[in-house]
Amino acid sequence: MSYASIGKRLLGLAAIGLLTAGLSGPAFAQKTIKIGNVEPLSGPSASVGVQGKQAREMAVEEINKNGGIKSLGGAKLELIYADSKSDPTVGVTETERLINTEKVQLMTGCWNSAVTYPATQVAERYGVPFVVPVAVRDTITERGFKYVFRIAAKDSWWVRDQFRFLKDMQDETGVKLKTMALVFENGDWGTGFAEKWRALAKKDGYELVLDEPYPSTASDLTPVVTKLKSANPDVVMLVSNAADAILITNTMAEMKVKPKVTVASGGGHADPKFLENAGKNALFMFDEVEWNTDVNKPGAKETNAAFKAKYGYDLTGESVDAYVAMYVIADALERAASTDPEKVRAALAATKLSTGPAMIASYDSIEFDESGQNKNAGIVIVQVAEVNGQLDRVTVWPKGARRAGYTPVFPANK
Amino acid sequence: MTAVIQAVINGTMMGAMYGLTALGLTLIFGVMKVVNFAHGSLLMVGMFTAYWLIKLTGIHPYLSLLVVPPLLFFFGYYMQNLLIKPVFKAEQQVREPLTVIIVTTGVWYVLDNLALMLFGAEYRTVKTSITGTSFSMGEFIVSIPKLSGFVVSVATAVGLWLFMVKTRTGKALQATSLDREAANLMGIDQYRIYNLAFGIGTAIAGIAGCVIMPFYYVYPSVGVVFDIRAFIIVVLGGLGSIHGAMLGGVIIGLIESVFSQFMPSTWTEAIIYAVFLVILFVKPSGFFGKKQDW
Repeated sequence: MSYASIGKRLLGLAAIGLLTAGLSGPAFAQKTIKIGNVEPLSGPSASVGVQGKQAREMAVEEINKNGGIKSLGGAKLELIYADSKSDPTVGVTETERLINTEKVQLMTGCWNSAVTYPATQVAERYGVPFVVPVAVRDTITERGFKYVFRIAAKDSWWVRDQFRFLKDMQDETGVKLKTMALVFENGDWGTGFAEKWRALAKKDGYELVLDEPYPSTASDLTPVVTKLKSANPDVVMLVSNAADAILITNTMAEMKVKPKVTVASGGGHADPKFLENAGKNALFMFDEVEWNTDVNKPGAKETNAAFKAKYGYDLTGESVDAYVAMYVIADALERAASTDPEKVRAALAATKLSTGPAMIASYDSIEFDESGQNKNAGIVIVQVAEVNGQLDRVTVWPKGARRAGYTPVFPANK
Repeated sequence: MTAVIQAVINGTMMGAMYGLTALGLTLIFGVMKVVNFAHGSLLMVGMFTAYWLIKLTGIHPYLSLLVVPPLLFFFGYYMQNLLIKPVFKAEQQVREPLTVIIVTTGVWYVLDNLALMLFGAEYRTVKTSITGTSFSMGEFIVSIPKLSGFVVSVATAVGLWLFMVKTRTGKALQATSLDREAANLMGIDQYRIYNLAFGIGTAIAGIAGCVIMPFYYVYPSVGVVFDIRAFIIVVLGGLGSIHGAMLGGVIIGLIESVFSQFMPSTWTEAIIYAVFLVILFVKPSGFFGKKQDW
């Protein structure tokens, strides 16, 4: 062996030594924080999944542009996506993969309650903090988990407010509503709503004339609408994903089903595609959302304008929650000054966010109770109306938030 | 009672369209003895083609019927010629070639994912002048897009049947379906016939795409919604039978719409499968299937 080759070898060894030292040493502090994000990016809920993805991307871009996480040396946030296809099994394996293979430090997602429920369970097992922007099933935060935090209102609150709205509007207009039909998608979200509707309908003295689950991927909803026609209810309560919301609205117009009041539950009805495709068939329907473009909050208009310029459509309650979730994560990381899951968890639990870009949300602040639920999450009800010859979603309830000069059309069909 | 009659009207119209989605599948199976798993994807391709045509040119949705099926015919024709024929030739000695099934499954995945890459996952609908329109017949309501779909479906089935029994090419298709070796010996080019069968089957998927588009939505995996149903219908009506496919379709449509008047509509899926199993048990060859064939 020549001296030259020994020299080369030594040089190589030294280089390897330097490299490993450099990688493990504090000089190479982490520059990005990986956030795993499971969303329905294909399949029937894909359009909401993509909206959530785009809202998150905009928030992360803003956060990174403003210097990232300053207490961590300006660390940047990086979103790593996985497609759940709205399938719980896929959601679970993707969460496992993000945590084990991609080594994400936090998790967020998954929009579908049915996916979020088992996915949060996985994250809890690994002790990875999971910020849920919207998946409304109550039990997601009612299992005594330590690492799960939810921004949006849970479904019992949504349902409670739908009935408060009905009561308030009847008091305001003197219209009496007696019979009610429940029509809902057959997933966790719809069946969860329906369970609570039944209890509240009984309490408020409505007579249930139809209680109908349907599969979200049905090729035809005419059978459901036919049933609705023969039940002839005063009020129709709806939970639908995007595609079936359009299908059901157009089929109701086709079959000339005209209930006095239709109350939807956000989701598919709040999707920008909904009004585009249902058009005037959706006129005077009520929809419950967490946010509306006319919400009177500082920065809301500007953020919506920026989003619209970037992606070509308005923010929705769900995308606002996704947007807000990124700021909640950034805020927690800033205070934790660490990516240690224990410290991030503690910081999330101590969240008291009432200023900054996150506050375009309809509620005043974000604070989590001991179950991880945002105590202050709020809801508004909008009506689809024609304003200046254009279909628009006008905030009508709570009365304090009602758009000035607008009188709700109640009942919609006499 | 009104609701039941209304359900029968809707079920028949919708069922004819289910039959239409199964027609291409049954034709290809009849002639080639190949289960085309890509059928749903071809329907999706038809729907997307109709979608873009209507969206970009603003033509009436039913005018797309003049453009989409011919396009899809060539798509299917060359797909068979380039992708399936080589595999088929390699398995010439096998009565029901298995590898071809895997090829069609591959085509299914490639087409679905290609559509996902090109158009994204969002669902799309065309808002047309006929969306959500209907007319009343006494106390019953008939949806215009669905009635049009029904008429086109029946016309297509009748057209296909006439083609099969009246024309030379149709007879050649039948002959190949009965015995491909004998047909070969009689001077029928087996592979040209396969190209034709695949082309026609795909064109019919295109017709189905055009009539479904005005009231349904399209997204890359929309094929699956109609696909599973089409498979049931084909087996129910008898593999390879045209009127079997139409009758099977209407039966499925009626079950779906009438049964859901008496129970939650989520149950009808299970009932469809139960009826399917019962019929398989009583008459395994389906309504119009020929026993000796399989």
